[in-house]
Amino acid sequence: MSDDTFSQLVDLYYPSLYRFALSLARSEADACDLAQQTFYVWAKKGHALREAAKAKSWLFTTLYREFLRGRRRGERMTALDTVPESELEDVILAPETVASMDGGVVMAALQEVDEIFRAPLTLFYLEDLSYQEIAEALDVPAGTVMSRLSRGKAQLRARLASRSAASPSNVVSFQNSKTKASNG
Amino acid sequence: MDNQEAKFILKAYRPGGADAGNAVFCGALAQAARDPALHDWFEREQACDKAVAAKLKSVPIPAGLRASILAGGKMSAARRSWWQQPTWLALAASLAILLSTALAWQLRGPRTDWHQLTAQILDDAAHGERHGSHGLAAKNLVALISEPTTKLGSPLPVDLSRLKTDGCRTLSVAGHEVMEVCFERDGGEFHLYVMARPASRDLPSGPRFEAQNGMHSVMWTDAQHLYVMASAKDESALRALL
Repeated sequence: MSDDTFSQLVDLYYPSLYRFALSLARSEADACDLAQQTFYVWAKKGHALREAAKAKSWLFTTLYREFLRGRRRGERMTALDTVPESELEDVILAPETVASMDGGVVMAALQEVDEIFRAPLTLFYLEDLSYQEIAEALDVPAGTVMSRLSRGKAQLRARLASRSAASPSNVVSFQNSKTKASNG
Repeated sequence: MDNQEAKFILKAYRPGGADAGNAVFCGALAQAARDPALHDWFEREQACDKAVAAKLKSVPIPAGLRASILAGGKMSAARRSWWQQPTWLALAASLAILLSTALAWQLRGPRTDWHQLTAQILDDAAHGERHGSHGLAAKNLVALISEPTTKLGSPLPVDLSRLKTDGCRTLSVAGHEVMEVCFERDGGEFHLYVMARPASRDLPSGPRFEAQNGMHSVMWTDAQHLYVMASAKDESALRALL
């Protein structure tokens, strides 16, 4: 692969790969490592990919596999049946509430979502992948992706709602004693 | 489908309508179109998804990440030996294919111009005299093929080295060493030329008849030998002896 082709590929996908990595690894440094590692693997093996159109899917799948490979031994993904049902209930969240939040806050909320839901959710939001494409990228059945999207969204909204409630705009401000005195 | 099922499906529907043509969502979308409560929920869901997606896409990328990735890619490429470069690998693969094709071609044997070989034999048969059968092996062979009941198309007990040792007439035709014996059948004179069956890729699969200057020939093979029988007799006479 020529340098130009590699640069073009990097320019096309490195932002979304980094954000996908950030949602998984929860740390900027680890996310950078994962994104770099993914392109490093591409530089070594990716040129063998026959269909250029599959490069995107290949990159996301590789990043996810690298993440799973590099995760500390013994750490397990949360099993579906350990997620409290209360978290799976729909939380009503106004779109305006989300729109008023900082991108970093939304990412932080996403990082709190159980990993098993986080990967499909990130691909859904960041890459606009269909549930079938997500199934292919993560190598899970399409029906499972639907289920994980549904549960993941519920968890994310619960996290966003709690952050929204805790944000300064929602906290009732108290006047300090000096102000009180001057007013009084 | 109730509203709960419809909601479950519609949560996988991408904001922006990219899934509009996906049949999986048709039933749930139709349900949302019929049910105002579900319709309102779906609109809120889509708006919320759109807002979340926009926020996530706004997360800044660390400065220097692109440069690090590009540098890492170059290092990886540099680590590959020259022979691992795609161009060289492709060249090597092409060369391997060419070599194996040539080898397979070669294994099937050299090409022989059967027409040329037959022409030379017909010329020899037309201009040569009747050749005597020298040696015991040749005499035995002539005795056998002169028998009215012998079918020359059946495998014949020919021992080329014995024929040669016994002094049977030997010719070099088109690069092949050929033995020749003459015999008579049904009032006609015939010349039988025998050579070792060549490992050629284009051996005639069945009897091959040719004619030249009033002479006729038929070529055939068995497991060990290649035969050309020539005569002034016509094709039917040759065919009758096979």
